[in-house]
Amino acid sequence: MAASTYSPSQGAERRQRQQQMRRLSIQSDWDRSDGRSFIQCRPAFLRTGAANAASGSAYAEFGTTKVIVSVFGPRESKKAMMYSDIGRLNCNVTFTTFATSLRGQGSDNKEYSAMLHKALEGAVILETFPKTTVDVFALVLESGGSDLPVIISCASLALADAGIMMYDLVSSVSVSCIGKNILIDPTNEEEVCQDGSLVLACMPARNEVTQLTLTGEWSLPKINEAMELCMDACLKLAGIMRSCLKESANLSN
Amino acid sequence: METTTIGGGEGATGMAAHMEVEAFRRLFPLPFYDRHLSKSVRPDARTLDSARETTISLGPVASADGSALVKIGETTMLAAIKLEVMTPSTESSDEGSIAVEFYMPPICSPMVRPGRPAEVAPVISQQLSDVIMSSRMVNLKELCLISGKASWIAYLDVYCLNADGSLFDAALLSAVAAFTHLQIPLVSVNEEGRVFTVSGEQQEKTKLELVNKEKRKLSIGNTPFPVTCVIHKEHIVVDPTAEEEAIMETSITIVLDTLGNLVSIYKPGGVGLASTATIKECISRTKRRMQDLKIILEEAVSVMEVD
Amino acid sequence: MVGLSEGEKQFLRGGIEQDLRSDGRTRHQFRSVYVETGVIPQANGSARVRLGATEVIASIKAELGKPSLLHPDKGKVSIFVDCSPTAAAIYGGKGGEELSMELSVALERCLLGGKSGAGAAIDLSSLVLVEGKVCWDLYIDALVVSSDGNLLDSLAAAIKAALSNTGLPKVNVVLGASPEEQPEVDVSDEEFLQFDTSTVPAIITLTKVGKHYIVDATSEEESQMNSAVSVSVNRNGQICGLTKRGGAGLDPSVILDMVSVAKHVSQQFTSDLDSEIAAAEASDE
Repeated sequence: MAASTYSPSQGAERRQRQQQMRRLSIQSDWDRSDGRSFIQCRPAFLRTGAANAASGSAYAEFGTTKVIVSVFGPRESKKAMMYSDIGRLNCNVTFTTFATSLRGQGSDNKEYSAMLHKALEGAVILETFPKTTVDVFALVLESGGSDLPVIISCASLALADAGIMMYDLVSSVSVSCIGKNILIDPTNEEEVCQDGSLVLACMPARNEVTQLTLTGEWSLPKINEAMELCMDACLKLAGIMRSCLKESANLSN
Repeated sequence: METTTIGGGEGATGMAAHMEVEAFRRLFPLPFYDRHLSKSVRPDARTLDSARETTISLGPVASADGSALVKIGETTMLAAIKLEVMTPSTESSDEGSIAVEFYMPPICSPMVRPGRPAEVAPVISQQLSDVIMSSRMVNLKELCLISGKASWIAYLDVYCLNADGSLFDAALLSAVAAFTHLQIPLVSVNEEGRVFTVSGEQQEKTKLELVNKEKRKLSIGNTPFPVTCVIHKEHIVVDPTAEEEAIMETSITIVLDTLGNLVSIYKPGGVGLASTATIKECISRTKRRMQDLKIILEEAVSVMEVD
Repeated sequence: MVGLSEGEKQFLRGGIEQDLRSDGRTRHQFRSVYVETGVIPQANGSARVRLGATEVIASIKAELGKPSLLHPDKGKVSIFVDCSPTAAAIYGGKGGEELSMELSVALERCLLGGKSGAGAAIDLSSLVLVEGKVCWDLYIDALVVSSDGNLLDSLAAAIKAALSNTGLPKVNVVLGASPEEQPEVDVSDEEFLQFDTSTVPAIITLTKVGKHYIVDATSEEESQMNSAVSVSVNRNGQICGLTKRGGAGLDPSVILDMVSVAKHVSQQFTSDLDSEIAAAEASDE
């Protein structure tokens, strides 16, 4: 029965909007649908301690992108795991069935799980919890674009809330390349018609990139420009994350 | 049983004087609770028959047609409804349908891990579905679009974001709230018989024939309200936390509707047996709690309307 | 896993520092590449590529399908990589699954371009026969037969070779009278259309060992890496995909430097690969 149902939201309408975006993108200057400038991020709302069942947790909201991350552990590794001098980091990303405009399956997203792991593993001091595992579980409540960067930033905040030792907070920002322009922190609508994208996760205090992926066709100077834009935004985001942690620490005192 | 275990019962009581409270709570949970309950108070300072603070907020998920976030103490539930179109079966050609699913993602509890789902999730899923259908809270005929051709199927997905006891109560409350919040989109039908949504702008520009101009909200009839109690010796403890549920194994879940009709009683096994008097007592607790829940839900709706 | 003694590690690292690697190569030199095409007769195109002791096979299977509702003007391409447990013991079970997925995602990222289709190696709109009705679905399957490092670069090379070996049969489509009717399809078994592979990029993975980066690392060398960056570069020298691997963080300026090195190295590698492919095609016929 489930297979024979369909969402009434109109493909034609969405296509029309996409075509409109395409037309816009040819011009050098146009307005983003939410009124931001090209190099302006969506307002970020961050909070730690969203779920008390976990060792640490965080909730992040960037526009309509809403993510909750819980961290469990350090706790016993799975029985089948071999002995290890250093700790393990296990990441899992799940989407809710209602996260996207078309109803999804609500299954694990393996690709994002792997990317989240790569973005965090360089920052977590695994030597501090030998033989054990730290589990980082993310649930995307609503997908509104730039999902992966929001998950990464939120996860590092949750790790900090859980008291897991890290070299630095990891903050992450993505940009979309549409026509001649580079747009920071794209929404879903913008991501659909992007010509290329760049996702960067870094530890701003150490000026180190932990994860970088790029799609689409780029020239070297353009990569340089996009990376600088991301690094700058990551630095600012890390500042917001830090003040969020300070606030919650003050509250608990 | 508890008196025979090492350090349980009397021994533990003796040792209690020399131990920190938290350690005593961990090592001897039963005596710890016994002493609380005999003084009619619980570790979180509640009386036995009071529930935790309950909040409802409507419409947290913009990508869904109806949604609600419910918190009972630390237990957090997010329910969202997405409407899709289906062809109704021939027996009930003028009715829509509801598909309920309950999820416990790994974020909600240390007991759940990816690839090892929680055992209770499918049970709660079925209970939710049974209660929603049997309470006739939603008139399925209101979900009909074109008799025999098309009707709505409401996919109700409830996610547990944080599990701290009384999961079913929070899940049902969030489901009820999500149905209250549900906004049915305006739709029209094209030549091929496919139903599609019509936005406000389009409605003015084109003179599309709308199928459901009047039926934008469901008239929620008798709303069911749940209360879970755990039974420990002669005590009835309302709205248990995860810790209380783990220690006191006998639980009873009562669901009443607004008219005071009994919708469901659920008592899953457990070591203790409940007498009819106990069940009656639970029902009267539920009646009292229902009044509070009704007000909380009404307030959430009025806040929504002001916005 | 490669088990190396302290002495061997020192030797390896020392060699890289002095620009003379243990197999005699310089830091930016590839192992010689060997290409064989048409290795799987049932497939529409296939190729075997060897880089030193690393051996991979790629095959292309084309099937007629229906374009998705969201993109009625595009065909579909899916890439699946399988790491055979015979290639290395760790590929058995879950380890192989994770690596397979990582490689598939990285290949998709660099071959399929941005979401709008810009910068794609395979032009998806060229796969459409009738808009919204009939298109080609390309299934790209790759198998790692034997592994001695640098899997991603070899896989990309094998896919390029397999694509240039691919002929899509000419198709005549007769549309039905009404829009709902399925169109009639007539697949020719004589006329084939050759695939244009000039836009397919090469992937160059730079592995950072100590302060230096090397291309085409062997498994031994990969075991000593701090981090690696895989860059795909097309013929015009444009970057069409980039993935960072390995846990350690990198300074942004180092990444940019690695990208420009990759861009430089890719020219030599692409022309070597192209001539190998041409030679293989010639001997195949």
